Amino acid sequence: MSANAAEADLLGEDLLALSALPSRDGAGERRLRAVEQTLPARRPRLMYGLVAVAGALAIAGAQIGMSILTTQSSYELKTLTSQQRSVDWQKQMLEDDVAGLSSPQYLAANAAALGMVTGQAPNYLRLSDGEVVGTGKAAVSTSSVQALKKAGVANALVSGLPLVTDPDSSLSAGVAADATIVVDTATPPAIADGLPTPTTH
Amino acid sequence: MTTRATRSPRRRTVIALMVVLIVFGAFVVRLVDIQVVNANGHISTAHELASGTERTLTGTRGDIVDTNGRVLATSTLLYDVGIDPSLAIAGIKKRDADGKVVLGADGKPEMIDWPELAGRIADVTGQSAEDVTAIVVDRLAEKPGAQWASVKQHVSTEMYRALADLGLPFLTFTSVPSRTYPDGAVAGNVLGFVSSDGTALEGVEDLQNSCLEATNGSLHYQRGRDGVTIPGTEVEEPAVDGGTLTLTIDSDLQWYMQQLISEETKRYKANWGGIIVMEVATGKIRAFAETPTVDPNDPAASDPEDRGSRLARFSYEPGSTFKPVTAATAIEAAGVTPLSTMTTPDRKVFDNGAVINDSEHHATQNLTLNGGLVTSSNVAMSQFGSLVDPQTRYDYLTKFGVGQPQGLNWSGEPRTGFSALPGDWDNQTYYTTTFGQAFTVTATQVASVYQTIANGGVRMPAQLIESCTAADGTVATPDLADPVRVIEEETADEVGLMLENVFAQGTLADDIKIDGYRMAGKTGTAQIVNDAGTAYKKNLYFTSLVGYAPAEDPQYVVLTVFDEPKKERMSSANRSVFKKAMTQVLKHYRIMPSDTETPLLPVTQ
Repeated sequence: MSANAAEADLLGEDLLALSALPSRDGAGERRLRAVEQTLPARRPRLMYGLVAVAGALAIAGAQIGMSILTTQSSYELKTLTSQQRSVDWQKQMLEDDVAGLSSPQYLAANAAALGMVTGQAPNYLRLSDGEVVGTGKAAVSTSSVQALKKAGVANALVSGLPLVTDPDSSLSAGVAADATIVVDTATPPAIADGLPTPTTH
Repeated sequence: MTTRATRSPRRRTVIALMVVLIVFGAFVVRLVDIQVVNANGHISTAHELASGTERTLTGTRGDIVDTNGRVLATSTLLYDVGIDPSLAIAGIKKRDADGKVVLGADGKPEMIDWPELAGRIADVTGQSAEDVTAIVVDRLAEKPGAQWASVKQHVSTEMYRALADLGLPFLTFTSVPSRTYPDGAVAGNVLGFVSSDGTALEGVEDLQNSCLEATNGSLHYQRGRDGVTIPGTEVEEPAVDGGTLTLTIDSDLQWYMQQLISEETKRYKANWGGIIVMEVATGKIRAFAETPTVDPNDPAASDPEDRGSRLARFSYEPGSTFKPVTAATAIEAAGVTPLSTMTTPDRKVFDNGAVINDSEHHATQNLTLNGGLVTSSNVAMSQFGSLVDPQTRYDYLTKFGVGQPQGLNWSGEPRTGFSALPGDWDNQTYYTTTFGQAFTVTATQVASVYQTIANGGVRMPAQLIESCTAADGTVATPDLADPVRVIEEETADEVGLMLENVFAQGTLADDIKIDGYRMAGKTGTAQIVNDAGTAYKKNLYFTSLVGYAPAEDPQYVVLTVFDEPKKERMSSANRSVFKKAMTQVLKHYRIMPSDTETPLLPVTQ
């Protein structure tokens, strides 16, 4: 009760201070009177409470939901990442396999193994009048460069790799030493039903 | 009126409030200290001690592509295989098909011992089982309890996955960025190469490193117990990939020239040979071939001196290929024409005492300027050249590029230029400068001289680098010298016509003729100073043949050089290589045959 006493004390002090002031006219006419009846207590509005609680629950729920979803998707991410890694490895392996196959020296060696030649003076056929522009001479059968026999441009990626067109030779090894022409000595099939004829319609 | 009773509670309140404030303030200070002042330290401590992980994100070094976008150099990954010897020696538990540990008769798990496991590793890596076994045994003998040893370095992805599939827990794999060059030695001299630790060592790999280099980034994140990244904990500083470097080189043409020069250098028994193909209108170099050269996939296979570009680093006294410069100077500064004449013996003693010889004996002729070039007469060019004062000649040579940078910004570019300033030219130099001696140039500069003449007198800077495209798509083009008008267009036309006559009337005419095309050019048989630098080598030359086609509308300059050919020692060695190279250029670029004939100018009058 000491706090109340102190409060009363403070009030008393204030009242004393007030009473020292000159009183205003008519101030004495107001009288304090007891309240006959307290105002009826307002009923708390249920609606507001419900909305507030429901809102809080909804927020909490949404948060949990989102958290579950992100956690879930991080597992998915992990699966996808490891999938991507293995696909990357595959890609890398395939790239390693084909590296160098498109290099000019490998292509040229393959072409040379087929008997193709290069380095001839060009001839052009003019479409408008059908005239041959250029030397007009037939190409010769020698190649200006020996892309296989005297291969001079190294490529460690395809070195020793058999040519597609001639599996017996490769870029580093050159042509197989005994590149004899394989002659098919098998007996030709006997003619049974007369000479074969093309079927035409 | 204040009493003790009224004051004491207020004081207590104030004191209590102050105590609360002080404590509160202390907390605030500490909070700021933790959250702001020392935040980074605490974060890194947390990363170290807790579940946080930091990973370096490696950027990829940029590709080098040719002018058509064909990849010449690209980045790939190789792997270093390491092993934990103390774990490996213990072997692993044997498991059955269901993955269950197989128990032995004594109830203990059966073990697969290390030598057997080493055999499995060796089957994949191609080493011998004994070698692999020894790696672990030796390492443990050297340092008991050792936890790391190297099994094999730089294995391919295929081998790495095969090793990983063995499921051995004591193998570790570290990825190593590496370079691969799909076309091998094609343009290897230009590309250069990168060391196994990723340092650019030669060629444009080194010169354009700032374009190609990648910047590494980092990724911080926290991981849960099962290794899954905890959402929202990633802090990423992305890596920046290197830029794509585009060269002016055309790789198909480059391959042909390399194959050609390799064959011809062997055939003529030269020390080395080179071919440059330059576009007349732009100065862009489409082929820069030389032999011997390097396969950047395997630089160690080449001799150390073959791993760089000689063609970019060699300088020489050009000899007769610079006679057209003398002709152009005489036309502009002395008013001569292609038909002006000089009485030309095969040996002449000049008034100042200098003696000039022609390379072949001939009767005294009344040679035209055109004839001086067609017969490549030193005596005639000395007389025409000396019509102009030395300073003007010096200025013209300088304008044609002598003593200037060759423009490729190559590392170790030679210093080219004059042996003496024009005021100090001695009696012999006074004349020899008219036929390409007493100063040095690079092969690229000789090609540029012919590009200038073919391009109506305007030199375009020689160019090997087209552009650098950064990872964000911005394209940077190299800083090139400005085009320079070296001689007037009429002069260029007159010199060009004479150069055509060199090919049409010279001794080489039949050997280099390409049916249907008009060509222009000049040979050069340059003397080489011996290693001591005291005298010219006897009977050994640096031979060249340079020209352009089609002469009526020049498109490409082709320069071929041999260092000291020994089967044929003069520039006649270059005829077949020049003809084949030019034929290929004309065909490769689909250049139509000429529909006119070379107008022949008189050689003598």
